[in-house]
Amino acid sequence: MPWLTCTKLTLFTIAGVAIQMVGLSIFVFGFFPVKPTLPGHSGSESFRAPQCDLVRNESESDLHPHQLRSLYKELSGMPPAFDQLILMVIDGLPAELVLGKDGKPPSKALMEAMPYTRSLLANGMAIGFHAKAAPPTVTMPRLKAMVSGAIGGFLDVAMNFNTQAMLDDNLLGQFFKIGWKMVMLGDETWLKLFPGLFLRHDGVSSFFVKDTVHVDQNVSRHLGYELSRDDWDFLILHYLGLDHVGHIGGRNSALMAPKLREMDEVVKMIHMNSILNQKNDEGQTLLVVVSDHGMTESGNHGGSSYEETDSLALFIGVKNNISDDFLSTHNIIHQVDIAPTLALLFGVPIPKNNVGVLMAEIFGYLSEDQQMKALELNSWQLLRLLQAQIPGLSCRNYPRDGLRDDQDFRIAKCSGSMEAMFCCLYTNAALLQKSWMSKEISSREDYTSTVVAYYEFLRTASEWLSHRATDKPVRLLTVGIAAMLLSCLILLSLLFHTCKEVYLREQSLFDLESIKQTWYLDETFVLGVVLILIVSMASSSMVEEEQYIWHFVASTLNLLLLRKTIKCPTGAGAQDLHSSSKGKNKISFCRLSSISVVLISGRILRGWHQGGVNWTNLPDISKWLEQAGTDNVKSIQLVSCLLVMSLSLCVLFLFGFNMKFVLVIGFSFLMSGLLVLQHFVKHQDALPWFVRFSTSEMGLSHDLYMSTSVPNEVQNNMLLVKLRESLYLVGWEYISFWCLLQLLLQQTINSMTIVLLLVQILASMLYFSYSGLHQKQWVEIAALYFLGMAGHFALGNSNSLATIDVAGAFMHGDVCLCEGHKLSPISRECRFHTTPQTDAWLPLSGSAGVELHFANSIHHRIADNEEPSFCLERLFPKVHLCLYHNYMRLHGCICSSYNSDIYLLGAGVEEKDAI
Amino acid sequence: MKQKKNKEMAAKPSSKAISKAEALVVHLISGFGLAVAFWVAHNVHSISLTSHPSLTLRLIWVFECLAVILLYSRYRKDHERCSYFKAVGRGLLGLPAGALINALGAIVLGAPAGIQYLPRTINWSLVMALFTIAPAASVFGSSWTDWQRIFAFTKQSTYILKFDSIRECRCSKLILAIGSTLLIEPVDYMICLPAHGAVIGAWFGAFPMPLDWERPWQEWPICVSYGAIVGYLVGIVASLGFMLVRQHVKGD
Repeated sequence: MPWLTCTKLTLFTIAGVAIQMVGLSIFVFGFFPVKPTLPGHSGSESFRAPQCDLVRNESESDLHPHQLRSLYKELSGMPPAFDQLILMVIDGLPAELVLGKDGKPPSKALMEAMPYTRSLLANGMAIGFHAKAAPPTVTMPRLKAMVSGAIGGFLDVAMNFNTQAMLDDNLLGQFFKIGWKMVMLGDETWLKLFPGLFLRHDGVSSFFVKDTVHVDQNVSRHLGYELSRDDWDFLILHYLGLDHVGHIGGRNSALMAPKLREMDEVVKMIHMNSILNQKNDEGQTLLVVVSDHGMTESGNHGGSSYEETDSLALFIGVKNNISDDFLSTHNIIHQVDIAPTLALLFGVPIPKNNVGVLMAEIFGYLSEDQQMKALELNSWQLLRLLQAQIPGLSCRNYPRDGLRDDQDFRIAKCSGSMEAMFCCLYTNAALLQKSWMSKEISSREDYTSTVVAYYEFLRTASEWLSHRATDKPVRLLTVGIAAMLLSCLILLSLLFHTCKEVYLREQSLFDLESIKQTWYLDETFVLGVVLILIVSMASSSMVEEEQYIWHFVASTLNLLLLRKTIKCPTGAGAQDLHSSSKGKNKISFCRLSSISVVLISGRILRGWHQGGVNWTNLPDISKWLEQAGTDNVKSIQLVSCLLVMSLSLCVLFLFGFNMKFVLVIGFSFLMSGLLVLQHFVKHQDALPWFVRFSTSEMGLSHDLYMSTSVPNEVQNNMLLVKLRESLYLVGWEYISFWCLLQLLLQQTINSMTIVLLLVQILASMLYFSYSGLHQKQWVEIAALYFLGMAGHFALGNSNSLATIDVAGAFMHGDVCLCEGHKLSPISRECRFHTTPQTDAWLPLSGSAGVELHFANSIHHRIADNEEPSFCLERLFPKVHLCLYHNYMRLHGCICSSYNSDIYLLGAGVEEKDAI
Repeated sequence: MKQKKNKEMAAKPSSKAISKAEALVVHLISGFGLAVAFWVAHNVHSISLTSHPSLTLRLIWVFECLAVILLYSRYRKDHERCSYFKAVGRGLLGLPAGALINALGAIVLGAPAGIQYLPRTINWSLVMALFTIAPAASVFGSSWTDWQRIFAFTKQSTYILKFDSIRECRCSKLILAIGSTLLIEPVDYMICLPAHGAVIGAWFGAFPMPLDWERPWQEWPICVSYGAIVGYLVGIVASLGFMLVRQHVKGD
């Protein structure tokens, strides 16, 4: 009676899988904690101490924005020093490039690239900070951190691609409440985060990473106009170009210095126009230049290394008595500190979830009690947040105004639990402030000690709160991992028991002791590969360059199989079928040739696309073919389609099934193959050429195939054999139809890759079918799996998000150019004709002399710094652009071509918000 | 100096079984050849494997060629029918053939196949051929069974049955028994173990190549060569160890 019955096996398997899933979800929830945020917005209550929260002005929401503004002004007791704010976000600019590192100025080339900013810093007209950004260093979470002062959970990365409107309390909402008019130019993330808040906006997309020019031109072209107007209070400029430069060429890219120079020009223009030109009675403009994150040497970002988190915060226009270049560039703050600083500067309540601390250097212009007030306001806000996080914290028990008569009280040593610590620090500061205020002649010493006490509280609270935002609950993680380990154990023991059962049964049936006791090299290797893969996951560059590992592993396994084949040329299982030496020779030849075919085609596949992240620029076959011209690529597509068809048909009929059914299947396959072929030929100009090829190639592939494969004798008509045949038939049809479908969907350049993959699968099938019992089945599965993974990377995929191939979508679907791709001023000469009836068909090759085949080739031209004769960013908005094989259709456009340049004469839909 | 040593050795009566000391000397000289090649590269031409991989590899194979083929030809299998010079000729023939096999293997595993890498690949595969194929070619010539025994252990199945008889032995002795049954002669160790060591070392040596450390030695074939050399040296030590232990067992 075997221990393992069927029901037991099922039950245990289900239990194991269920535990695995539960453990995984617990782990994921623990690893990406979703922190609760405080709902609602800060109002006038933030100007009162948290202890007397009870009185709440309910009528506040009814107030007119201007009344609210004056209410805030009155409550805070600080007159806003500025009344216009320009926030210039330079995406991905590391502070190191502007401010230098460790007190050393940046390299000479970089200093020369930003002369104006450097002079501002040197003259004390600007203060620069290294703003430490919290991971994940991608744009959207960092923008949120800057405007709300809160540190979001790590799951925000997942939201970066589908940005939702920001509902938490933030600066923009506060400004909107007091009736500010805001203008946004740049990254459209802002529009998605804050829909409906902007008076005017022009969003650009960050999707086309290879565009480094137009994406910034589209921001700067409005700048002169906006600076000349004064109907806005808050101007946001978000420049994406520098991040794109980084993604293309890294920090040391040749494009970096020109891009920095361009940014410097923008800073100069704003500073000249709006800060130097203003009269004193009109109020002041503050220019804040920030970057959302830094970048690594190779231009990537997202992680938490110093290079990535080192972002910039530059305040231009602040009166600053420090004129020392070293001092004004050596400050290190947190990125979240920007939010409370801006809120206090402009007299709005600090956002509710803020964990930042105001920057003392910026408030140097205020009087001492105003600075104290600012500190107090920031402390109140943080105390409120602490009270929300630690329910028991009220600080009421502490003598708020005890020791009233004792003027020279001692500051209590703060220690003990978290709550006691915060309360004690806060009370110390409040008491010191009280004593300082009550004195007739305030001494400098008292003031300094109060400020120090406040900063101690603020820093401690801020640190604790930001740690809490990114803290991972260790217990949850442990439980998750334990559950997963438990399920692994269950499944492994099940596997062990099943193997034992099978082994016992086999032992009773045959005497196979001598075979099963030896471990072959290939089997050990397959197990070793699992370890290698696990180890390789620890290195980020191994993950980036995963294609090398898969190819290496797959070829090594195939080489080991080749060695095995040489060692004992005939498979053990084949011996009973073919006893003659001639048959043996044939079999060994077949095995040898099929494994060599797998190896050779694998190597060609490896060379087809370079792939990966670091060495994409190295030459490979696809680049070479693309350079050789489109005709060659086309012909390869046709040839590969024919090859797929002939291969599939050959394999189908080779086995000589005496069934009409097979004929029907073959016929249907032929038909669909011909349809695909017709689709390819439709846009092909040279038809006779195709006829010539088809005949020759057909014969060639036939011969090739006949020579490599040997008909597998079907000995008897047993039911089992029939079943095997039909299974084989179904499987093969599935593979061949899949290949046809892929030929349609993949890029033209990849068509040969599909043929090679088909050949690989076929050759492996042949090899393993001749190996018979000699080969363990799991080795076969592993070999096919390795081939599959290597093939996945051979199609040009990689683990980088940037290589997700959307060219197929571009070819067969409509590309809708959304807002952000507006006509640049240069081409304003184009007259606008609204002709929605007419569609423009641009031939991409041939008559216009422009050879643009896919959307990505259009972008390649921009990346190569050629003067693009035609590019997406210069198109009119809301023009539907459809790419067909040789044509690009512009919905409702009139165009003409002249001297290989294309001129758009009219666009389909007129810009609604055209200036 | 090397020539002199060779002559000394040739003067001795050559027996089929190599003594411990002889094996040690052979291995020491092959290791010495490597050292001399590196010394000449470093001190005479002032180049290194990292700066001039092609030239350094050429130096290595020239020196190793002298050491390996001349030495191993003395231990040719068919002493009666084959003269010393014929064995040297076989070794010299085996050199390009082995290089071809090694180069094909490397390219299949992903070595760059471009023209600009051709000199490096040729020189590297010549070095690898000296580590793997050339000594076997000198010793065995065209004896297919010997080749199979060295590089594929195909006699394994016939010896498995012997395990039952020695099952009572302690574990360590079992391993030795496998070793002694598979590789009958000392010269087999001296060829087989360093060759496998070099191939496995080269295989592992390829792993740092895709990493983004941006070091000059990550280029093809520098770290692969280092891996192969380290593997070869380990193989030499292992073969010496095996011979010592085996003689010890025999003595028992």
